[in-house]
Amino acid sequence: MSRFSGLLRGREFSLALILVVAIGITGTINPRFLTGDGTRDLLTATAIVALLTIGMTPIVIMRHIDLSVASTVGLTAWLLADYSAKNPGTNALTMFILGPLIGLGAGLLNGVLVAGLRLPALVVTIGTLYIIRGIAYVVSNSVDYNAQEMPQDLLELQFKTYFGLIPFTFMLVIIGVILVGWYMKYTKAGRDCYAIGSNPPAADLAGINVFRRTFVAFLFSGFMAGLGGVFYIIRFAQVDSTAFYGQELGIVAAVVIGGVAIFGGAGTPVGAAIGALLVQTIQGALAALGVAPFWKQAINGTLLIIAIYVDRVIARRSEKSLLAQRIRERA
Amino acid sequence: MVSSIKGRTSGFRLAWDTAIILLLFFVWIFASITTENFLTAINVSQVFSNLSEIMIIAYPLTLLIISGEIDLSIASMLGLSSCMLGWTYLQGASIYLAILVAVLTGTLCGFVNGLLVMKVGLGSLAVTIGTLALYRGIAQGLLGEQTVNEFPEFWTSFGFDTVGTTFMPQTLPLVMISGIIFGLLMHRTPFGRRTFAIGQGVDSARFAGVNVVRHKIWLFALTGLMSGVAGVIYTFRFSTAQPDNAIGLELLVISACLLGGVSIFGGVGTMWGVVSGALLAGSVESWLTLREIQAQWRTIVTGVLLLLSVAAPVLANRIKTIRERARQT
Repeated sequence: MSRFSGLLRGREFSLALILVVAIGITGTINPRFLTGDGTRDLLTATAIVALLTIGMTPIVIMRHIDLSVASTVGLTAWLLADYSAKNPGTNALTMFILGPLIGLGAGLLNGVLVAGLRLPALVVTIGTLYIIRGIAYVVSNSVDYNAQEMPQDLLELQFKTYFGLIPFTFMLVIIGVILVGWYMKYTKAGRDCYAIGSNPPAADLAGINVFRRTFVAFLFSGFMAGLGGVFYIIRFAQVDSTAFYGQELGIVAAVVIGGVAIFGGAGTPVGAAIGALLVQTIQGALAALGVAPFWKQAINGTLLIIAIYVDRVIARRSEKSLLAQRIRERA
Repeated sequence: MVSSIKGRTSGFRLAWDTAIILLLFFVWIFASITTENFLTAINVSQVFSNLSEIMIIAYPLTLLIISGEIDLSIASMLGLSSCMLGWTYLQGASIYLAILVAVLTGTLCGFVNGLLVMKVGLGSLAVTIGTLALYRGIAQGLLGEQTVNEFPEFWTSFGFDTVGTTFMPQTLPLVMISGIIFGLLMHRTPFGRRTFAIGQGVDSARFAGVNVVRHKIWLFALTGLMSGVAGVIYTFRFSTAQPDNAIGLELLVISACLLGGVSIFGGVGTMWGVVSGALLAGSVESWLTLREIQAQWRTIVTGVLLLLSVAAPVLANRIKTIRERARQT
């Protein structure tokens, strides 16, 4: 067991190492990247994706997927802007309460369909991706909102930083990573998720409440997507019904690059968040190198394929070492 | 025991296909009563024309899903083929060469997917999310902000006009012929039976002598090939080759397959089911357009149809099991 967790820790460690190298290279080419401004820009740009990877991690660990999060972010952001436009006195706190509540609604829908009816998550969340985005189209009726219709104290959070480096939104991400990371590692419920992901029928037979864990994971993902809607407003201060359109696969990519196995059973929120940072850093590095922005997606794709490949190699190696260990114990 | 359960599901799946066909007729009747223009030549032509690419890709994808894999990069392969077509033509090549290059590009992309999944041993869901970004990215790198929209008149009319004085769009014969070919391939040849065998149980198929690796690589390459063909059609239909052609189309194609009763877990599905699934989605959309219902609702309808297509068979099956259990006790 200790060896296995050692391997996992190794994965986060090597990711962090790659991240440091990437930051170093970018810094030497473009010194601005390493300044306070550069770091703040990087962290601000990563915050939403990193936040959503935290919500996605438990789901992917349990061999499911949630493709509807980007639609939920968009719908939540629009509804929040609409609410504050119609209730001029709204403050940031209300947004932070309402946003996750709206997200929970989406999570509830996914949870009922995937955990309750035991339908395949991939198909269900493609369906809810359409439905939630469609609701955003219908309710918005092509109305957009700009900064003046949003709570000013919420927008000011954009400039709030801690230690002169970490933006407010990213601070929340760090807190989220620590809490969820702790929860996944040290609580029974967290460990259950890994057991379910490693072998669903075995977990069921071992008396783990698969329904409850799956259901809660989808609720949580919806919650985080709702929070992501608040982040969206803070970051862009402008919302229309296509907000955050098509970003779902980028989140899955970050999660997988961060070492969460797409076949379930392994990975941590810390890794996933580092994955999100890494993707953003490499984008920044390429921009600094003068690579045309058109190649951005191609590089994203290549990164993802490399990450899956590394995953596969590590999985094979750990399988072998576990097998060798078992043979040694028998002998 | 296991086989009897499988048999029951596939039996029900067959019924689901018929249900979709019935539903399709119902929608047609309902739509032609509630609107004046539904069953007019021009509208039917529109419905088919809009479905061209979706159906052409849905055929091979059906086989791929039945074999237990998935390909999310189809729309990106379409986009890349379209860009290759435009780019090659822009370099002064003849249109025939450009079309050939486009189709070959699609095939090569599909082949790469197949290699990554079967030879390197990575999961098709994750890999094709990666190649979705990769192929689209190459298309963007290739053309940048450029768009190519000067194609020979003959070819752009191929994407737009109808055959002679009939209502058929010129793409329809191609859609129909490839549909028949893939239908026969799937239901009447050893190739098709092997596909089902792999989907029902990889190990038993392997023991029965099926070369699973080679077979699935073929399926991926076929999916790429047809995505390339769809790319050519798409380019001529809109007479533009640009990097974001058909972005997001992958989910519509997959919806059409699932709506037509193909099981996402593999092993079950029929070609007529998929064709009627695609037609159903297209007809409902056309009806919504004719009723002048806000375009926004269509997105919701697509989602609901997709959810229904997965939920209905599962729920019906469960009700059936409960009833049978009640009868036994």
